[in-house]
Amino acid sequence: MTEESRPHHEPIPEWDEIADEILEGCGYDPDLGKRMAEDAIKIANGELTEQEFHERYHEEVKAEFGTDDRPTKPEGFDD
Amino acid sequence: MGQAWNRVLTVGGDHVDTPEGSYPEDGDGGTLEMSYQPTACQHCENAPCVKVCPVNATFTREDGIVEIDYDKCIGCRYCMAACPYNARVFNWEDPQHVPEEGTGDVEERPQGVVEKCTFCSHRVEEGLDPSCVVNCPADARIFGDFDDENSTVSKYVAEYDTHQLLDDKGTDPKTYYIQGEMSPGRPWKGKELEEELDEEPTAEEPADVTGDESVSGAAANPTGGDD
Repeated sequence: MTEESRPHHEPIPEWDEIADEILEGCGYDPDLGKRMAEDAIKIANGELTEQEFHERYHEEVKAEFGTDDRPTKPEGFDD
Repeated sequence: MGQAWNRVLTVGGDHVDTPEGSYPEDGDGGTLEMSYQPTACQHCENAPCVKVCPVNATFTREDGIVEIDYDKCIGCRYCMAACPYNARVFNWEDPQHVPEEGTGDVEERPQGVVEKCTFCSHRVEEGLDPSCVVNCPADARIFGDFDDENSTVSKYVAEYDTHQLLDDKGTDPKTYYIQGEMSPGRPWKGKELEEELDEEPTAEEPADVTGDESVSGAAANPTGGDD
């Protein structure tokens, strides 16, 4: 797929509000959840690699949840 | 109450179950129209919900079904925010079965977890179709194996105009929506509950996909893989 033909992520207009409602009072960092959710879509359409995604959020996920067991962990990644 | 794993969205008038268009006058000229879209978990090949789960409770099985380990789920709801299909629901309260005896051998989900359609993996493992396929009165739903080019579902997708929801997201759902003139899809396995099986069910002959009846259907690939 060429750069020109690659579909870039365009968030659903209402998504921001919907995500806020979903994550309100979830007991964990809602901002982290929103950022990860949006970037997970970017992995799907090729704008972000799984490795970039994992590294970008690893420290925050570990701090928030005490663990990071996401399946995006690259081979040889050092916790 | 239990949770709805499958929502039927309507496209028509201003309200649910109101059509768009106009009624016929003097027996002629009506333009009433309404479309239905059953929307459940799309079991994406590139599932965002799986990637954001910090405890790996949401995972993709080897056969491609996206499932949730309720023992691991901590109810953070990150997966719900990541799902572009709004296919997941959160158990705010203790689930109740209606009727009390339940509606099959679905694993009980506790309060405080996220749940969604599993393609009835407990039935698929027994060689049965998902319950939605068996119970659809219009036979509009087809379930099968895309890795088998001779499966009914493969024939339908090869033959007819199909689309995936929000295909620009790159999630590559394993659920396809089929349009066009066709014969109704047929469940290919018995309608028994899995606990009622006394022997392995036998597959029916694949449906003839060259008919001329009209039906919309959702076809799904439970086996995932590279199709």
